[in-house]
Amino acid sequence: MKLDTDLSRRRFVERIAKSALGLTVLPTIGYTADGARGPGFGKAKNIIFLQARGGMSHVDTFDPKEGGSKGPADAISTSADFRVTSYLPETAKVADRLSVIRTMTAKIGVHGPAQYFMRTGFAERTTVKHPNLGAWAQHYLGSSHETLPSSACINDGPRYGNGFFEPSFSPIPIHNPMTGLKNVDVSGGAGQLKEKLDLAQDLSVDFMDKYPDANVSAYREFYDNTLRLLRSEDLSAFDITQEPDAVRERFGMGQFGQGCLLARRLVQAGVRYVEVSSEGWDMHNTLEADMEEVAPSFDQAYAALIQDLEANGLLESTLVVLATEFGRKPTWGGKGRGHYPLCFSTVLAGGGVKGGYVYGASDAEGRLPDKPTTVEDFHATIGWAAGMPIEEPYVTSTGRPFQVGGADAKVVHDVFA
Amino acid sequence: MKLFLNSLLLCFFVFSFEAEARTKEERQAAKAAREAKEPPFPEGLKPYPEVKPAPPVAVDAELVLSRQQIANAAAVIDQHIANGLAKAEVKANPAASEEALLRRLYLDIIGRIPSDDEADRFFSNRDPDKVGNLIDELLVSDGYRSHQFTWMGDMLRHKSEGARRGDFALYDRWLKDQLKMNRPWNEVVYEMLTAKGSLATSGPAGYLMRDPGMPLDNLANTLTIFLGANVSCAQCHDHPLAQWTQQEFYEMAAFFGSSEVSARDPRKISKNLATNALSKQDLIKVVAQNMASITELGAQELVYPEDYAYDHAKPGDPVVPMLLSWGGDDFKGAAYQVDTEDPTELRNSFASWMTHPENPRFATTIANRLWKKNFGIAVQEPVEDMDDPRLASNPALLAFLGQIVVAAKFDLREYQRVLYHTKAYQAEASVTPAIGDIDDYPFPGPVLRRMTAEQAWDSIQTLIAGTKIDSYETDYSHYVTKFAFPFDDFSEEEIYNTALAMKASGYLTKKERQRGLDLRASALPQPERPDHFLRMFGQSSRELIDDGSLEGNIPQTLVLMNGEIQEMVSARDARLIRKAKSLDSMDDQVEFLYLSFFSRKPTEKESDRIKQAMEEGTSVPDLAWVLFNTPEFLFVQ
Repeated sequence: MKLDTDLSRRRFVERIAKSALGLTVLPTIGYTADGARGPGFGKAKNIIFLQARGGMSHVDTFDPKEGGSKGPADAISTSADFRVTSYLPETAKVADRLSVIRTMTAKIGVHGPAQYFMRTGFAERTTVKHPNLGAWAQHYLGSSHETLPSSACINDGPRYGNGFFEPSFSPIPIHNPMTGLKNVDVSGGAGQLKEKLDLAQDLSVDFMDKYPDANVSAYREFYDNTLRLLRSEDLSAFDITQEPDAVRERFGMGQFGQGCLLARRLVQAGVRYVEVSSEGWDMHNTLEADMEEVAPSFDQAYAALIQDLEANGLLESTLVVLATEFGRKPTWGGKGRGHYPLCFSTVLAGGGVKGGYVYGASDAEGRLPDKPTTVEDFHATIGWAAGMPIEEPYVTSTGRPFQVGGADAKVVHDVFA
Repeated sequence: MKLFLNSLLLCFFVFSFEAEARTKEERQAAKAAREAKEPPFPEGLKPYPEVKPAPPVAVDAELVLSRQQIANAAAVIDQHIANGLAKAEVKANPAASEEALLRRLYLDIIGRIPSDDEADRFFSNRDPDKVGNLIDELLVSDGYRSHQFTWMGDMLRHKSEGARRGDFALYDRWLKDQLKMNRPWNEVVYEMLTAKGSLATSGPAGYLMRDPGMPLDNLANTLTIFLGANVSCAQCHDHPLAQWTQQEFYEMAAFFGSSEVSARDPRKISKNLATNALSKQDLIKVVAQNMASITELGAQELVYPEDYAYDHAKPGDPVVPMLLSWGGDDFKGAAYQVDTEDPTELRNSFASWMTHPENPRFATTIANRLWKKNFGIAVQEPVEDMDDPRLASNPALLAFLGQIVVAAKFDLREYQRVLYHTKAYQAEASVTPAIGDIDDYPFPGPVLRRMTAEQAWDSIQTLIAGTKIDSYETDYSHYVTKFAFPFDDFSEEEIYNTALAMKASGYLTKKERQRGLDLRASALPQPERPDHFLRMFGQSSRELIDDGSLEGNIPQTLVLMNGEIQEMVSARDARLIRKAKSLDSMDDQVEFLYLSFFSRKPTEKESDRIKQAMEEGTSVPDLAWVLFNTPEFLFVQ
């Protein structure tokens, strides 16, 4: 490695970014002649963002291939005129509700940074933390509910979900959907709680004065939000045991299935943005056995979620996003597949997108996309669906402008009905 | 004597756990039922002996450097910081109060708050050198090792259970033993990188086995953790900013190209061998720890990947091992004088180079990481990217810290001892700078920070059970080593018979591991389950390097307000409440609670406010609740 002679290219790039805040040329595609926004804009009142963590193999799921790339599973036909692999028999039945994007492309092939990228639409940096789409939505569109949080994440920690927005924009984490939100019973009743909190506040005055620290005040704010939540009439949204057993079993009793059901309950109650993680997709060496373990419960839950939202009249207003940090190497050698960010698939459903639609194609081997869709484009597309003014930059306290998916992101208008 | 007590306690704990589950009669009935069901021992096979934990290693409790040597090094650090502050036109913070410093030293060195007794003892001590003595005393205590283990666990992504049913209990024990012996960091890392054997036979093998079958990912993690080399992008293509090339990455990976870190799947063979007498799950338990092994291939087998896009080599070409350099005269340095040709020496060569005192990054990287552990912010941020040391907030300071680590012969305890003796460390804390200013923080003092999940848990255990928690250990390594047998030399029939004999000898009977209270985070499963207190407070899932979080959220607040842990702190039989209630006057009770939670006495204003509340009906447990729910408890000043 050679170091740059001038101090650092990184700082230089940052300086350029800071000074680049100027006029943005408004895009024209997707707008009607009088400047109003066209199809799909704002149809998605809610977003459920499913993340298959580890890197879902596109070739073994939504982009089946023949020849040297073909994995252990055959392609099967679906309720739409595209095919998926036999690992997804239930998903095949709801294919006519899905828009599959087979042209995702990225450059990051390492789990942590790639997950960060897929979750925020920005490459991970040390100088700034980027928000997830739930925080962007809360910024542009306000809180989605008076007492409930506006976003949640299930099966995972919140990890900087608020980004450069205030800490209260961070999603509420539910590590285990079966137990939901724990510790909501207040011993001694609300009156006593208030007295104790008043005393705590009085005894914190000196400390708070001495340390005007953002993290300390964020903690105070969490106490306020928690109290509001405890008084909420909709608190039971977090409790999936209130669902009939038949419904719970339809989603599958595993962590991901119950997580999807909880996501539906939360969305129904007014939580705008819910992330659900599905684990186990990093299949380096034993893909066939791993798929047999991971795919069935995923397939069942994903199809059940689409069907359930539709039956409850929520699919029109809820965008279900299925994302993963990267695809897997197309060449099949009989064991497993390595990381492959250059071409992979994501899926959108509901919230104003077309059903039974495939956007673009990868080549015969699944190596490169014909109409490359970046992770930034994908984020802008979701932002558009949610009705965010994605061309308006938000300027952080240090003067850096940011847009959903960054300034170069292009909305994939073709997926909207 | 202390050691002996520790192992006694350990035995006591392992057994008491099993004992408390059932009454004596139920146990006898269960045993009779088990014996009735158990088939006779298979003919022709030898029973295996009863499994016992390996004896404890001797603890190294001797500090090496003289107080004068420590003071000299600390003074140079303070001079570098003074220079940095002058340049940034920032004034150093005044010295911290003895109350704030006491609490900080306990939390940073041994990972928990001081008990009321420990605080009392310190405040009533009139020795002018009491701070220095306390630092030295804490550094050789059980608590130091517990906290250091937790810190390393986050960095190394240590998990009790890994892929393919791998059990990392022997690695866990090995890491803890290295801390007990206070082994030098370079030697510990060398052993991790050069280990051979399986999860059942080698402790240090656990490091490479963390990423079985993923040598490239493992290397990216290795370079990131130990050298702060930001190479992860170069795994797939030339790095866009840091200028590492994919070629350089592969040349480094070739040092691991003659070793196989097995990703063999225990499910397949277990399925094939299973019978009515021995289920697939039984077989998996026996073979998995042996199949997870590191072996030498005898030749370097790494080739360039199929999508390799650069001119100097074609996909499929063998890679020639080459050490990476950060420019300048690196290659002339002593660290680089290793054999890069003999395929049987490649891993040793890599490890020698990496852990060499003259490696351009090894010492500064650990120095920078430990600085962050104690000051809240590193001299160079982020700690995962030290490629350009000129980007450090204070490059001269960073270079000097690396020199201390080398001079102390990679004794991390001595290095941290120097840090604790600096004026900079002992100054009042600053508030957290804005995120864009973190890489330029000039260290007028350490930074105010929330306790880590583990510090919070361990502190709460101190309130509930007292300081004895430091000495409680758990060791499950014998649950793994018992399965060791020469799997690769055995025929399928021998493997089957071994598994059968082990089952008949009771090796597959489920052994409960301890969970729950009275144990510090270091003695609990790594990491804890997702809805455990530790995870809700941000304990890393151990999937990524340094992934612990200090952020707040609503479920955390709910835990503090209504959680089980809160109930235990204010329960009548908790040490805290028992002792408070044994005190006569309200003044004494309030003073005791303040000492316990905040390591200080209440101010007059606070006393008055509390008295008023208590006269209106606030009880001692209520007051414990209140103090528990203030930021002063959760933050480290």
